[in-house]
Amino acid sequence: MSGNAVLRLSGVERDFTMGADRVRAVRDVSLEIERGDYVAIVGPSGCGKSTLLNLLGAIDRPDAGQVFIDGRDASALGDREATKLRLTRIGFVFQRFHLLAALTARENVELPMAEAGMKAAERAKRARELLDYVGLSGRERHRPPQLSGGEQQRVAIARALANGPAIMLADEPTGELDARTGAGITALFARLNDDGTTLVVVTHDEELAGAARRVVHMRDGRVVRDERLRAPAGASASSPARDR
Amino acid sequence: MRALALCLLLPCALPAQAQHRTIAVDARIAEDAGLRVGDLVVIAREPGLPGDTVRIAAITTPNADPSEVARREYRVRTHLDHLQALTDYGDRVHRFGVETRGGAHEDSTVAAIEAAAFGFRAHRSRDVAVETSATFAVVSRFHHAIGVITVVASAIFLLCILLLKVDERRRDVAALRLAGISRATVVKSIVVEAAAVAVLGTLFGMLLGRAAAAIVNEHYQGVYRTPLHFAVVTPGVLAFALALSIVLGIVAGALAALRLARAHPLALLGRR
Amino acid sequence: MLLRLVHASLSRHRARTLLAVLGVAVSAALLLDMVMLSTGMTESFRNLLLGRGFQLRLAPKGTLPFDTDATIPEATGVIAALRESPAVEAVSPVLGANVHIPRPGGTVTTIALGIDPTVQGDYELIGGRDATVAGETVVNDFLLRQLGARVGDTVTVAGGYDPQLRRFAGERRVAITGRARFLYLAREEGALAMPIAALQALAGPSRTDRASLFMVRARGGANVEEVRQWIERRLPRVSAISTETAIAQVEQRLSYFRQLALILGSVSLVVGVLLVGTLVAVSVNERIGEFAVLRAIGVARARITAQVMLEGMVLMLAGSLGGLALGLATARYLNTILSRFPGLPEAIDFFLFQPRAAWTALGLLAVAGVIAGAWPAWRGASLPLAKTLREEAP
Repeated sequence: MSGNAVLRLSGVERDFTMGADRVRAVRDVSLEIERGDYVAIVGPSGCGKSTLLNLLGAIDRPDAGQVFIDGRDASALGDREATKLRLTRIGFVFQRFHLLAALTARENVELPMAEAGMKAAERAKRARELLDYVGLSGRERHRPPQLSGGEQQRVAIARALANGPAIMLADEPTGELDARTGAGITALFARLNDDGTTLVVVTHDEELAGAARRVVHMRDGRVVRDERLRAPAGASASSPARDR
Repeated sequence: MRALALCLLLPCALPAQAQHRTIAVDARIAEDAGLRVGDLVVIAREPGLPGDTVRIAAITTPNADPSEVARREYRVRTHLDHLQALTDYGDRVHRFGVETRGGAHEDSTVAAIEAAAFGFRAHRSRDVAVETSATFAVVSRFHHAIGVITVVASAIFLLCILLLKVDERRRDVAALRLAGISRATVVKSIVVEAAAVAVLGTLFGMLLGRAAAAIVNEHYQGVYRTPLHFAVVTPGVLAFALALSIVLGIVAGALAALRLARAHPLALLGRR
Repeated sequence: MLLRLVHASLSRHRARTLLAVLGVAVSAALLLDMVMLSTGMTESFRNLLLGRGFQLRLAPKGTLPFDTDATIPEATGVIAALRESPAVEAVSPVLGANVHIPRPGGTVTTIALGIDPTVQGDYELIGGRDATVAGETVVNDFLLRQLGARVGDTVTVAGGYDPQLRRFAGERRVAITGRARFLYLAREEGALAMPIAALQALAGPSRTDRASLFMVRARGGANVEEVRQWIERRLPRVSAISTETAIAQVEQRLSYFRQLALILGSVSLVVGVLLVGTLVAVSVNERIGEFAVLRAIGVARARITAQVMLEGMVLMLAGSLGGLALGLATARYLNTILSRFPGLPEAIDFFLFQPRAAWTALGLLAVAGVIAGAWPAWRGASLPLAKTLREEAP
């Protein structure tokens, strides 16, 4: 593993059983992602992109091969350690936002911080800063049903940044948004990366893929092409996204 | 009646010509003391006093009388003059039973007795029955109150459970409504389903109730050693239970269904 | 945050939560009532028996006090024999009989107790003064109303009647010196008390030097059971009944209520558990996706399980508080019904509230709440994460 790699997959395989069929979702994938990089994973539907993302996020375990997250072999972790890893080192953004409708925007952002043991006053302050960072100052008391799709996704991004993760993983983050709103999210991701957050994004959105520094093409569970568009971002000035 | 001490003698050899007065004992004392028809026993007014040797002529079954059930007394029947002599009671009794020539003569008989016998009162048997049943009137009211509380509780539980179960199917209901199925049809189908569940549950409950009644009777008849029936499931009780369950089931199902049917399908899918 | 999530979850479906709380409240009320019923009679009866400090009661051999018309002969000798024991502090003889009080509107027949006023334990004086000599009597308010009399009035009391001579026998004029509350008699039952010698004389030769019952108070520190055994050896014609035996006898007669309490209490507990368990299970099923998202963002399985179990506990707790109030109200109502048992002493309660009963019921419900929520909670937090996210997440 190169010294600057924050994520590494080595010969990873993952199969699923769908009825009577066995589907090989990820086949012998090896990949290294450097700190500060912004990687877009693209490919047709069912090519294994989301499965790969789940493996990168320690949400799923490979049937073969190894997954290293920030130097730790995630494929050998138990549920408790994997959960802790996701809490402290990884931020997840989903296509359908997955916010808790009963909580306010601020409370949704605070959720991972509360789990990490941060005190109430401190996490309220940080939550406001993060909502401000993603462009939602003044909306902290709104509940998800009261927010637009773009606003909900921004809240989800703020939540993903709650514990200052080294890595952010996003699965089709603009999939449920119109083009204009999606562009706003794309710009936000670019800003996040410029501020030093490592991003891995699975997407069909060409704009979003185009904003990435590296594009990995997948087909039938394999990486078929790996394009470097720009060098990974270096260390930058302090930002709420990383500082905690 | 005074308490009698009943002392059991070992069966003894008696001259063939010996004549003994006879008594009847109830089944409980016969079982506990190992007595049989033909046995000789001694009965006395008080413990330690000499008494009379008598022969057991009969073993009686305890009355199925609710007022006597819990007392667990031993009962012995003797001839009247025998008991009067044994207890030095003289020519006295505690009460007389009087049979009249038909119900029309009751009032006149009561009046005549009270006028003739100073200090006596005549009571109609049915009035006595009412008074001695007072205990069970209380128990009956208690059961009734418990029954009402249980029915109210069951109604709440039923409503809650049906609400939960119907709520679980909100997506199915949303899909049906989006496909054009009317509210009325959705409500009707849920109500029919709730009624079916209520009927099945009631039938099961009836079987359970009958079994429970049989167990209760078996148990308490053994405990109190009485032929009294403690729990009786009558056709009327079954009909009431069936009617109540079905009504409760339908009402609960209708309330739950109406609540769901009133919501917009997209709201049911969480998209509004 | 955990409490916030619990609150958010329970507020999401208000009608459902309210109904569940109501259901638990009814369950809790019934459970509390049954706990009270199972202990109330015993405690109430024990308080009644020990209220005046008499730990033993002597009745004719083989009988319970006032169960039959039988009496104990040579009452004076019995008292003297009992006083031989240094462990015996006081002996209260009681004779029971029916007496007749002729009135202009008809004869009133009532219960009469012959007592020793210096050691009696059968009544509490609530007005006037005690009956200390022959020719005096204390009566209860029910009898006063029946007679239309007041303290200070004089009435004629007869111990029997002679049908041949067509008149009452053993008539005496007695003055009503006081009003009393008879502890062991029913509310709707007339009664009077007078010195035992006066009642023995009134009742005729069949009651001379006889008593229906002796109440015995043992000295402080004495072993009551040893005293009881000594009495039965010394006086073979009596049965000496300790408070515990008397309670056991009464419990046996009223065992039906304890069994009913056990059955209904168990049923209500089971139903409460089922109700909360079903509610929690349905709620978890609806939120499987939500739980998967929480785990994906790093919330531990234990935290999710704790949240769900806490939801169950909150429902149980809220329901229990409501059930406490409801239970006390229904207990009062049910007690009113059962207190109409003919001949039941006024002081006996079937449903006696003791804090211990409330804690027992609450404790049982709390445990039930934990059990009800545990399995659905664990299930909800343990499904395979990736698959659940894919299939269930909203």
